[in-house]
Amino acid sequence: MDKRLEKILPLVQKPARYTGGELNSVIKDKNSVAIRYAFCFPDSYEIGMSHLGIKILYSLINAREDAWCERVFAPWTDMEEQMRSNGIPLYALESGDPVKDFDLIGFTLQYELCYTNILNMLDLAGLPVRAADRKGLSPIVMAGGPCACNPEPVAEFFDLFLLGDGEEVMNEILDLYKAHKQRGSDKAAFLKAAAQLPGVYVPSFYDVTYREDGVVDAIIPAEGAPEKITKRVVRDLDSVFYPDSFVVPFIDVVFDRVTHEIFRGCIRGCRFCQACFLSRPIREKSPDTINEQCKVLCKNTGYDEISLCSLSSSDYSGIEELLSKLLDWTPGEKVNIALPSLRVDNFSDELLKKLTGVRKSGLTFAPEAGTQRMRDVINKNVTEEEIMETSRIAFAGGYSAVKLYFMLGLPTETPEDVQGIAYLAKKVVDTFYSMPEKPKGKGVNVSVSASNFVPKPFTPFQWEPQATVEELKEKQDLLLHTCPSKKINISFHDIHTSFLEGVFARGDRRLSRVIETAWKNGCVFDSWNDHFRFDTWMDSFASCGLDPVFYANRRRDYGETLPWDHLDFGVSKGYLEKENEKAKRAETTANCKIKCAGCGASKLNGGHCDV
Amino acid sequence: MYDVRIRVSKRGRIKFVSHLDMFRTMQRAVRRAEIPLWYTEGFNPHPYISYLLALPLGVEGVAEPIDIRLVEPMPMEELLDRLNAVMPEGLRVESAAAPFHKPAEIAFARYDVTLDRADITPEELTEALTCGELTCEKSGKSGHKKIMKTVNVSEHIREYRLEDKGEQLLLTVVLPAGSTFNLNPIQLMEAVSGRLGRRIYPPLTVRTALLCEDLSEFI
Repeated sequence: MDKRLEKILPLVQKPARYTGGELNSVIKDKNSVAIRYAFCFPDSYEIGMSHLGIKILYSLINAREDAWCERVFAPWTDMEEQMRSNGIPLYALESGDPVKDFDLIGFTLQYELCYTNILNMLDLAGLPVRAADRKGLSPIVMAGGPCACNPEPVAEFFDLFLLGDGEEVMNEILDLYKAHKQRGSDKAAFLKAAAQLPGVYVPSFYDVTYREDGVVDAIIPAEGAPEKITKRVVRDLDSVFYPDSFVVPFIDVVFDRVTHEIFRGCIRGCRFCQACFLSRPIREKSPDTINEQCKVLCKNTGYDEISLCSLSSSDYSGIEELLSKLLDWTPGEKVNIALPSLRVDNFSDELLKKLTGVRKSGLTFAPEAGTQRMRDVINKNVTEEEIMETSRIAFAGGYSAVKLYFMLGLPTETPEDVQGIAYLAKKVVDTFYSMPEKPKGKGVNVSVSASNFVPKPFTPFQWEPQATVEELKEKQDLLLHTCPSKKINISFHDIHTSFLEGVFARGDRRLSRVIETAWKNGCVFDSWNDHFRFDTWMDSFASCGLDPVFYANRRRDYGETLPWDHLDFGVSKGYLEKENEKAKRAETTANCKIKCAGCGASKLNGGHCDV
Repeated sequence: MYDVRIRVSKRGRIKFVSHLDMFRTMQRAVRRAEIPLWYTEGFNPHPYISYLLALPLGVEGVAEPIDIRLVEPMPMEELLDRLNAVMPEGLRVESAAAPFHKPAEIAFARYDVTLDRADITPEELTEALTCGELTCEKSGKSGHKKIMKTVNVSEHIREYRLEDKGEQLLLTVVLPAGSTFNLNPIQLMEAVSGRLGRRIYPPLTVRTALLCEDLSEFI
């Protein structure tokens, strides 16, 4: 361990974030690998180590003999201060080597408010933050993840983006890079070749022009790069690579357990939900594969909890079979099963009985809106009766705490819709007290979490204006004043944070300057309330001559060229437009199991969809 | 039920893993090793693992005692091998045997503190250790309230020896440890730093032994 590091670690909070050496972390001989890959997560260790994507790609790259993947997280501000004042550059946890010397630096873009952390990490590494200022073949700085579906606000910092599932394209990029490194080629030649790989977007090859009113006029490819870049899709989840071990952190991280993805995609088509449309078509993993992989992971990590994750776990066609298989061995091994993302409309008695074999915590459901009309607009497709029935089942099963997720600021929302949230929560409270078989000796606790709706690319609401900061404030106040019971706790998301998220979600390339300015003025860790500096952000927009309201609160025409129009995530723009029109008429669309709505995503999987 | 006292060494960068995190680390290690551990009964069963004395953050240990409870007997050699096969870097089970002393019999601990001569001279250190009024701030309780107390460290240094190793100094010191009163070498060095008016950071601090009231080895 670096002597300078030894001296500063006793001075910072949670030094084990910065030491590496965790169980199952991979150590290789750096002289025997052709490619060194730094997997960077632009947030704290605790957040990054909870993320499944990093675990999959870390193991996938390290399964290659010719490559060594290491982990890098954003140092917390106390550590950053120590590193800067002691001249310690950003280093990778496994080897302790400076990130600057790696071949490839890959970031994952999980949320919009991590962008300043990316610049800060590049700068801590001693690298120029702008792609154009990094001239050599190494390091290539790339990114993937959900926000890569509209990477334009950070386009000027990255050399390339990977769209869609990373498992296959990652290996292709590594192969290509290795070939170019061995033949001594330059960055331009590598990027030109990379742009020909399906799913690889090289932003510098696209020229974006703007109309006088600030709207994108055209996106013109150069250097033979394709006009449309289509996301990558893993066809078969049973045969695709999955890790047989996870790095086990010493310190307590947010999700510290075996996480297993049971399927990709979502049949529901809720109109606000970007994850649904980005991850289609639906592909399921078989219960046998999941069960076997969970066993191996528990054995290799010593974890005592398995979380089955997906966008809507109860829609997984093999859910009861899977739970039976897992429950064959997990109680004996004292392993708990967590099943997040359950829906209120197909949450069955049987499912609950299986779950009561394991530890009880709270139950979380997401009605998303307080009135039937509003739920129809967003295509949530659950009824009040279903919500009450699910609450009854849960209370009868011994639960006494229920958490309900809602959104404020949805398109067409009226004051009645906002008040409807409070009334719905009250009905859940009343349901509890009306039950003779309610859990004895306990009161009920209904938590309402009301977030602010942010319109996202590749959703039917991508053309909609986000509710303004003032409107959202009024809605929060109204909900708070309507709340009729002390058994209901209401929590809100920060409005300014949501506003900024709205700007970057649908922003264009000109915002790179704003992000760089805000970072230079001290913005980092923007998703952490105690670090978020809204005024600095507003000053940065002003000094760059850009208006955030133009991005967040403006209605787009269907005919407008959107900053992400050259990226193809499978679901067609025509379908999204149709869904937007239906939303205006409060008309629902049935889920994919009932009837295929023709979203277009199955073309990416040879016309196949696991419904 | 069979009680076993294992002795674990904690060396290298894992010294920055806190006591609380070590507890979880050991829990997972015994699960991976598939040791027939006794689980607590009740709503949320967990394996019985008891750390006898916390090791301060940043301090290494050569034989830290941890008591575990088995449901069936197991050859000690096999226990050692199975655990060491799944331990993270820096942790090693050095020995395993039936406990002899009771945990409450721990009274002192011996530490080897390595100091850079560039940071502190032997004369400065000797002066500080013998001045009789070396003090540090220690968190304590007054009723239910947490308060900071000033402790006269000098009264609690049971034994010390200073060896000149050229570039480095080796301070061997015996300090009170256990459930009634604890003073660790980090607090001692804070007190020395306070007296000298500059921060002294020892590059290496190792707990080498736990001792009973009569300074005999705790086993």
